[in-house]
Amino acid sequence: MSKHVFNKTNLFIALQYLTARKKQSLLAVIGVLLGVTTFIVLINFMTGVNDFLDDAVFNGSPDITINAQSSPEQKSRQFQATNISNEKRVAIDELLKKHSNVAAFANQVISPAILTSDTKQFPGSLNGIFPKQEKKMVNLERRLIKGKGFQSLSQKNNILIGISLAKRLAIDVGDSLKIILPNGKQETLKVSGIFSFGITTIDNVRTYMSANTLQTLLNKETITDIHIKLKEREDITVKTFLANTVSGISIGDWKENNKTIVIGNKVRDILTWSISFALLLVAGFGIYNILNNTVIQKRKDIAVLKTIGYSSRDVIFIFLVQAIIIGLLGAILGAFFGYGISYLISITSLDTSDFIIVDTYPINFKPSYYLLGVAFGILTTILSGYFPSKKASIVDPVTIIRGL
Amino acid sequence: MILKAKDIVKYFMDPEKHQVLNQISLAVSDGELISIYGESGSGKSTLLYILATLDMDFEGDLMIKGQNVKEMSSTALSDFRNEQIGFVYQFHHLLPEFSVLQNVLLPAMKRNIKSMEQLREEALILLDEMGMKAFAERPSYKLSGGQQQRVAIARALINDPALILADEPTGNLDSKNSEMVFELLQEITNNRNKAVVVATHNSKIYANSDRSLEMIDGIIRLS
Repeated sequence: MSKHVFNKTNLFIALQYLTARKKQSLLAVIGVLLGVTTFIVLINFMTGVNDFLDDAVFNGSPDITINAQSSPEQKSRQFQATNISNEKRVAIDELLKKHSNVAAFANQVISPAILTSDTKQFPGSLNGIFPKQEKKMVNLERRLIKGKGFQSLSQKNNILIGISLAKRLAIDVGDSLKIILPNGKQETLKVSGIFSFGITTIDNVRTYMSANTLQTLLNKETITDIHIKLKEREDITVKTFLANTVSGISIGDWKENNKTIVIGNKVRDILTWSISFALLLVAGFGIYNILNNTVIQKRKDIAVLKTIGYSSRDVIFIFLVQAIIIGLLGAILGAFFGYGISYLISITSLDTSDFIIVDTYPINFKPSYYLLGVAFGILTTILSGYFPSKKASIVDPVTIIRGL
Repeated sequence: MILKAKDIVKYFMDPEKHQVLNQISLAVSDGELISIYGESGSGKSTLLYILATLDMDFEGDLMIKGQNVKEMSSTALSDFRNEQIGFVYQFHHLLPEFSVLQNVLLPAMKRNIKSMEQLREEALILLDEMGMKAFAERPSYKLSGGQQQRVAIARALINDPALILADEPTGNLDSKNSEMVFELLQEITNNRNKAVVVATHNSKIYANSDRSLEMIDGIIRLS
């Protein structure tokens, strides 16, 4: 006598039922397949977009920014950046060096400017940086399209500009670019590199130049901004710590500086999960329906199986294993289909929008999503197969035989 | 003594409390063919389901092969049914998804004490004896009623049980097939030395059994 319900005989009976009703079984498999495929494609695509935006925006900009708080009288002169005094800078430096969640920080001199090429003129933002510090903040090598990165800024008249800005100004590496500062000073710089963060709002205005050169032009010895990269981005306690310790500064964090993107990511996450869940639920209902009908139609057979010695547990297994086979097949095929469709999307070229600059749709092929999709699919089928199986197991043979 | 039932009382609760079996006692030994004869509603099928351990909701004692079936768990009871009881229905009840041979093999595959080759051989011998060997690989739903009933008898015999119970086995067959089925039941009793209990309307079975019991309103009357 077989001690376990998992045995060849029960498996044989389950398979016989599945193959005897090929059409229904196939439909159930397709149901799960569609659920899992859509889940995987959606999550691959949505997280791909999220990751792309995260990478472009948050890696291109600091997690925490510190500016001097502007006094009312300074506010009236819009174009003049407020300064962080040297004393304050040194104090903040000391605090940041000691803080455990600070990965790196850098001082910047930021000023708006009019950028002028031979033919065109656009407003832009000059980021005066100290190359050694800034290297730890932004991985510009990865973003570089042409020319050289931060190291070229050790030469005082070099400037790096964003790709969209370069296109609009119609200039290239090696060309000269004239900057006009709010105080009226002008300087001609040489473009030593062109970068792209993939986000037009950055690539349209951002430039990098030597902080020392900019300080000279602005007649300043101080800086305007301190940028901080965090080790754990979600933990922004350093912000409150600084606000409580140092007065006269305003501090911004990545969440409030990029509200739209943070909200966009959230919305995409909610959409992904709710749609996937709904789809799997529908697939689950399909399986439930099919197995439930099978149980109703097969009540006589179940009664016979019980009369010839099959226990309630055998009957549960016989029906549940059908659900599991449907689930496994659907989920595994769904993972392959999901990969295939995601791959096709990932090589589909994308018309550059105003907001994002990217060649093809961003897709995240993280294996854990595939595992999750398969696990989800199988779980749904087992859950939806359990109730009809349970129903089959409590079929009373006497009632059935008598009812005929 | 294969089967010993003592003071079996059974009530139906639906639609209202109603006594179906009134203190039935019955003993069956091997090599004995007993028929229970009675009108519809007399309780003969109900008694048969109790003897088959399918209906455990009764009062009284039931010993089969020296074991008190009331003391068994439902899983143990399934195993016990599988090994000791063969059941033949009025409507033959073969599983349509399975071939004739597979239908015969189902109880033996559940028991799982012999190799598949050996079981197939035994099943084919049984089917041969039932005159059904030629149909072994056919889907079971393609057989006629009489053929299906012969396959059902082969299925009841495959695990070599001590007790064969048949509920109106000829109730759905023409006279020629009825006769053939009854002959098979007699053969099983005499040559295989099984205890066979048949609930029937068929007067020929009633007249030719080793012992015939008439059932009226839940009481057995010896005739």
